Amino acid sequence: MKLDVIPIHVANQPPGEPGLSGNAPPLLREVVEQVRRLIESGEPSAIDLSALPLTPADLDWLQEKLGAGEIAVTLQASGESTLNETACPGVWWVTHRNEQGAVNSQFIEVAFVPELVKAHPQDVALGLETLEFMIADRQGDAD
Amino acid sequence: MQGPLIDTLARQGVSRRTFLKYCATLASMMALPPAAGLAMAEAMAAARRPSVIWLPFQECTGCTESFTRSHSPTLEGMIFDMISLDYQETLMAAAGHQAEAARHTAMRDNAGKYLLVIDGSIPLDQDGAYSCIGGRSNLDILKEAAEGAAAIIAMGTCASYGGIPKANPNPTGAVSVSDIIKDKPIVNIPGCPPIPVVMTGVLAHYLTFGSLPELDAKGRPKAFYGETIHDRCYRRPFYDQGKFAKTFDDEGARRGWCLFELGCKGPVTYNACATVKWNGGTSWPVESGHGCLGCSEPDFWDAGGFYKALSLPADPLKFAAAAAVVGTGAGVAIGFANRSKKGGAKSAHETTTLDDLEA
Ligand code: SF4
Ligand code: SF4
Repeated sequence: MKLDVIPIHVANQPPGEPGLSGNAPPLLREVVEQVRRLIESGEPSAIDLSALPLTPADLDWLQEKLGAGEIAVTLQASGESTLNETACPGVWWVTHRNEQGAVNSQFIEVAFVPELVKAHPQDVALGLETLEFMIADRQGDAD
Repeated sequence: MQGPLIDTLARQGVSRRTFLKYCATLASMMALPPAAGLAMAEAMAAARRPSVIWLPFQECTGCTESFTRSHSPTLEGMIFDMISLDYQETLMAAAGHQAEAARHTAMRDNAGKYLLVIDGSIPLDQDGAYSCIGGRSNLDILKEAAEGAAAIIAMGTCASYGGIPKANPNPTGAVSVSDIIKDKPIVNIPGCPPIPVVMTGVLAHYLTFGSLPELDAKGRPKAFYGETIHDRCYRRPFYDQGKFAKTFDDEGARRGWCLFELGCKGPVTYNACATVKWNGGTSWPVESGHGCLGCSEPDFWDAGGFYKALSLPADPLKFAAAAAVVGTGAGVAIGFANRSKKGGAKSAHETTTLDDLEA
């Protein structure tokens, strides 16, 4: 059965202008402030996009303005996350998805490297252990 | 059992980045600044898991189901990794004397430090005989367990406000946790059932800041109960334009108009359904075409009928302004619709009417 047989017209969007709310442009100014702070003091910051009254059109507008940069990071951690640098270096568009692919949260992160990309010293130490085991193992084999 | 949380998580295959990502989302849901996500992750990673004693009283287990059957196990399921659940009748393997002994051990070993989670109301009539565990009344057990608790979390509307057991005529004399315990911090997480992530948020806050989150006048965390369903409802523009569904299958209902006249309690209900949604973010009651029942408010069961329109617009000022803008006198339209409901519905269809549902 085709869906349009069911006589229901979903009208989530109120008729008329669906698009821009006007809330996106001020965000650009905030990004400018944050980038300035990053350069001056090295202090990273972020804007929580899910917490703001932004329409899908607003988000598209923002994303288009900021553009796409050279680096795109994909993180697989209970669902996919993408941490993509925008055309403005130091400004990252971060999207966290759950296992079903739905967006859990979305941020603009202003940092030299997003926090999630960095490896934690404790994890690095664990990696070192693994490496050392590997070498010990090989030596064992060689003997 | 003890040790930093991050080690426990690692042992269960939860990576640090998964945890960081989770905390970022949690902070966002709790309306905390983005930097709080990282702070939360750091504090919680190093935190020792708090001992939690979970007592079910006069309840239906719906609240427990809400968590354990949650569609995003990695998110809310993590709650069980964040805590050391030392007593939970529905989930624990132990039974009988063994279970009671486990509770007493946890209470003694963690005296003054454990979190007490309660779901269900407490019946007071007949000396509490309506609900007993191991031959002791809920009232008795609650008082004993509250004694050594650092804080109490009242899970669900029953524990928070009495809920359905307290509904008129309240045959068992049911009361809420805060009706009995006066000398401990209590956070209410109402909802029938409550939204799982609220519990996670409260625990995360407790682990990070060592305190309960900020509460509203009804003891609910403001981060999740700070706004009404109506404030965040995607059908709100239709309300403002005075466009209402009059029956569950009329043209307005099909177009997704506001459900106010069909009894939606969204305007007077504080909860996060409209933003967090249900079933892993799939949908929520209003999105599936049914008005909000007001389940996170005290006495929602006796609030005049699920299909009766609220007598007043939630915010008459806003409403009047909206009506003026639209120029249709929507307020008048509502009054008219209510008066003519019976006749109107009769003539329009043969199917179930509001009055049938009310009866
Ligand atoms: S009355 Fe109900 S359906 Fe209508 S806008 Fe408010 S919450 Fe949404
Ligand atoms: S929409 Fe209303 S009745 Fe339904 S779960 Fe949310 S608060 Fe409760």
